[in-house]
Formats: sequence, structure tokens, C-alpha cells
Amino acid sequence: MARVETVVADFLILGGGAAGCMAAISSAEADSSLEVVLVEKAEISRSGAAGRGMDALNNVVIPGIGTVEEYLEALQVVADGTLEPTISRVIGERSFGLLQKLEQWGCQFPRDSRGQYIVGSFHPKGRFLVEMRGDLKKLLARRVEAARTKVYNRHVALAILKEGNHAAGAVALDLKQGVLRAFLAPAVLMATGGAARIGLPSTGYLHGTFDCPWCNGEAWKMGFEAGAELTGFEYTATSSMTKDFNGPGLSTFIRHGAWLVNGLGERFMERYEPLGLERAPAGIRAQAMLEELRCGRGPIGFSCTHLPEETISLIEEGLFSTERPTMRDYFMRKGLDLRRDPVEVVMSEVYLCGGHGLAGFVADSFGETSLKGLYAAGDCLANPYGFLVGAMVMGEVAAQRVASLKEKRPQSPNLGETLDLLQESLARHRKGALGVSVREFEYKFRRLVNEYVAPPKSQLKLSRFLRETEGMLADQEDLPARDPHQLMKVMEAKAGLFSARMAALASLFRTESRFGLYHHRVDFPHKDDPNWKTRVILSAGPRGPLVRKERP
Amino acid sequence: MNLYIDEKTCIRCGACVEHCPGDVLYLDEEGFPFERYPEDCWYCGVCQAECPVECIQLLFPYLIR
Repeated sequence: MARVETVVADFLILGGGAAGCMAAISSAEADSSLEVVLVEKAEISRSGAAGRGMDALNNVVIPGIGTVEEYLEALQVVADGTLEPTISRVIGERSFGLLQKLEQWGCQFPRDSRGQYIVGSFHPKGRFLVEMRGDLKKLLARRVEAARTKVYNRHVALAILKEGNHAAGAVALDLKQGVLRAFLAPAVLMATGGAARIGLPSTGYLHGTFDCPWCNGEAWKMGFEAGAELTGFEYTATSSMTKDFNGPGLSTFIRHGAWLVNGLGERFMERYEPLGLERAPAGIRAQAMLEELRCGRGPIGFSCTHLPEETISLIEEGLFSTERPTMRDYFMRKGLDLRRDPVEVVMSEVYLCGGHGLAGFVADSFGETSLKGLYAAGDCLANPYGFLVGAMVMGEVAAQRVASLKEKRPQSPNLGETLDLLQESLARHRKGALGVSVREFEYKFRRLVNEYVAPPKSQLKLSRFLRETEGMLADQEDLPARDPHQLMKVMEAKAGLFSARMAALASLFRTESRFGLYHHRVDFPHKDDPNWKTRVILSAGPRGPLVRKERP
Repeated sequence: MNLYIDEKTCIRCGACVEHCPGDVLYLDEEGFPFERYPEDCWYCGVCQAECPVECIQLLFPYLIR
């Protein structure tokens, strides 16, 4: 067995995005004697999907404006009848408390002339969206520091450790030293995001994705291999993305009343969803956009020309100051002015996400997965459209649970055999017998995702994807990596291929169409409520993944 | 290359390298930042935001200009 430095703690957090940071802060608040370690691939003050900023909390149930029941009703519409409400209820109930806490910490929530929060509509029903300003991630990172959490930046988590049927820690790769490091703890929280790099964006850039490209399903692969169950992988989402740019940020147009228009200037959502219009469930909106493009009525875009100047200024101010400041450079380069021009959008590549989608770990109300002691929060947890609020609430909930249980530290985890396997795997990558670059490998499976897994789906296409990528599973073990950064890229590619295959399996299993475009099966074009108003669950079996319905 | 970093203004503090979420940036022997893995950039603008002397400009790669 290889010798590595071993760090022992009471609580190990993998991923220092909004969820992981909030977990670190909350565990110290709950029990200051708890020793907490946070392992982060980048650097916590700027990492994760909210690293650069976020201009709103999308889902806060504000007393007097909305209720938790209304929030769950809205989510049930978005999840097309398949919502399992346990986690969403917790998020709804704690959302306003979270906003108050953040405001106390110095996060800004602008008020209107009557001193009220600026609340908008984003969901198909209800008003749960609150405008936000300020540098949230920096603020959280300072709190993590004050909480005396031991932070290991630039460490890539590679495998979950177990003691019997209980999580016992993780092994990570130190990106700067190029060595492995072991972390032992009786409770492990996975908070490393969703999978952004499974489909190919239209620009052709591997990292030009809608979602944060440095998160690619690593938690899903590690957690699944350790015994945690997954759900929602047939919800292969695609969003509107600014043409020739990347990243999210367009929800601001929807909530501030911009129209989706086609090349003829028509507000085309009137044809597809006359009541919900732009606020239709994401899969319905995506289907409408694709249909307009398919019929040759493109280009499509968001138009603000009918909006008053104060609304346009609010959109620009939020977008350029907080959500996506590089968008200002982009607008200038393209000569775009919202007062005059629609912002052209394209359909993004497909992605999988637990916080703005349905894909992620199955968990109980504390975020504990089907493996004891292994928790999940943020975009790797199935917390349907829980967004940033869901990430922070579930980080908080998991931490409070861990602090209350205070379990004994692991005595005999499977560290030796895990290290042996990892060392062997890293040695093979250093050798790189495949002789194909990880970029070429990644491009290949992502092109196949576009062709066979992205909707519209069919049994023929999905099975073809699984067959074509079967050989790639063997190939990936010999991908070359000459430095730690490339090893990280290899791990991300493997996790992306794993996630894409899970998406194909789940999509194959759900023999109906649901979620608008996202799970449109041409061979089963109708929604089948009596049989399929349920989640699809993936679990690891002795001879490969098993797929089942949550309820028969 | 996605960035223009002004050599004259840059104070070699390494803040852009420290914070880059994609591990794209590294320091050369003289402490000047460069893009070791430019293809991993998301144009998120963290480097620009973290620079205390505002010496970083985003260029955007050719395909999205």
C-alpha cells in the first residue's frame, strides 16, 4: 500500500461552492468543537456555479407573498407531476430564514420605493424570486475562514472511502503537489455540482457551456460507485444561451418581462403556451424555441424593446455588475443595446443538474443519500429547481444533522485497497497507452451525446449511444495525463461519460414522453400518467447499473 | 489566448492565478501570469475582477467574437 498523508476530521465536505461553504459555516455554528475539513478543486472565494456572482435568489417563500404549499405546487408543474416533495419542502420552509441570514451577513437585497424586497416571478406559478446584489461567494468564503474550517484548495476528490456500509472519508489529488491525500471522517458531504460538459455547445468549445464547466458529475460517479442512488437522469436539460457566448444569466429577461421573439418579430410563446408564455416550464419553452428554429423562423432572441427604461436599467445593472460582468464586454463587442436589439439566443448543449433540473442523488430530508453517512447538497443533489437557495439550505441542513449525530470517527476504512486502485489508475494515465488526448476523447463522447442522447430521443438512438461508448469505458483507463491538471481533466471526462451513460439508461427506461423537450421520445410520443408519474432511480448492481421506478 | 494582461501595469501579485476557478492561469519564472490551459477558460471574468490594478482585458476566442 502506498503511504499518503492522512487528515482526520468529524465532517468532510467535498466541494466549496455555495452549498459546501454554507455547510462549513453551519457546522461551526451548530457545534464549534466539530473539526471540519473542506476539500475544493479551485479556490473557495471564487469557485462553483455562483463563483462570479448571482443577481437573484430564485426561490424564496416570503411570508405574505407566497406559501410553501404554493411553492410546491409551482415545482410540481415544473417537474411535470413527478416531484417527490421531501427536500423541496425543507428548502421552501427554510428559504426566508436563509435570506434573512444572508442579509445580516451583508448580502444586498435591494428594496423598492416602499421599502419592500424586489420580488419577481420566474416559476410558472407564484412569486418567489428576490433580486440580490453583492459578492456572495466572497462573503461566504470569509465566513468559512472565520468558522476555522480547514480548507484544502486545489484538491480534486477522486473516491469515497467506506467502513462497511458507511461513508468514512475520501481520497483527493493535490493539484499543486501531484500527490494523493486521504481524508477520514464519519460524515461526508458531496457538493461538487452537476455535469456541464456532457453535450457539445454550438460554438464547438469544450468549455463554452451553459453551466459551470469545471463541474462534470464527479460526485455522481464517486457516490454511485460507493452505493448512493441517483434519479432524474432522463431530464436532459437544455437552456437558452446567448449566441456565441456561454453561461447562464438569461433568467433576468424572463422575470423582468422580456419577450421571446422569432425572426419575424412574433412573440412565439403565444402559440405554444398562451397562459404561461415565457414562464412556461423550461422543457416546454425549449420545445417551442426548437420548433421555431426547425421551421425556419429563426433567429430567436429575448426582446426588451417594449419595457420601460427603469426595467432595462435594472436588467443591465444586475447582469453587468453581479451575474455576468463579462457580458458587458460581449454586448459592447457585438454593438448590442437592449433598448433597440433583441439578444439572440441558441439552444445550449444538454446538461444534467440537480438545482436547475431534476438529476442528482436521491436523499432524505437531511440530504443523506442511500449510503449511511454520505450526504449531498447543491447541484449534485436532486433538489428540483432549488437553485442557489436549495444549495445553501441543504448545506445548512446536512451540517446541522452531522453536528447533532456526532458519530465516531472511522476505525478501519477501506483506505489501503482504495489507494492501491487509485495509484494503479494514476500510473496507467501517466503512461497513457491509448495515445489519444483527453480532449479528443471528450469531444467524441460529447458529439455522440448530441447525436444520440439529446432529445428527440428513441430506443434506437439511446441503445446506439450505450453500445458506441461501451468501448470508451475501457479506453478511458489509458487516457494520457502528463501533469496533475490533465489528470483532473481525465477525471472530469470519465465522470462526464458516466453521467451521459446514466442519462441514456434512464431515458431508455422511461417509455413515455415527459418534461416537454427534455424527455421527448419519438417512439413513445405521449405522456403516460398512470404508469410514469414517478421518478426513475438508478443504483449500482453487482453486474452494472440497475434502473427502476420509484413507485410501481 | 483569452486574455490580454498588460505587462507594464501588472504588479505580479498572483491574485488572478490564485482565484482562477479553472486552474487556467499560472505564473512564469518572473511572476507574470500566463494561460497554461487556455482551452479550459469559461470567460467568467474572475481574473479581471480579482486584479487590483485592472490590467486584464478579456479578448474572447475567435469563434465567439
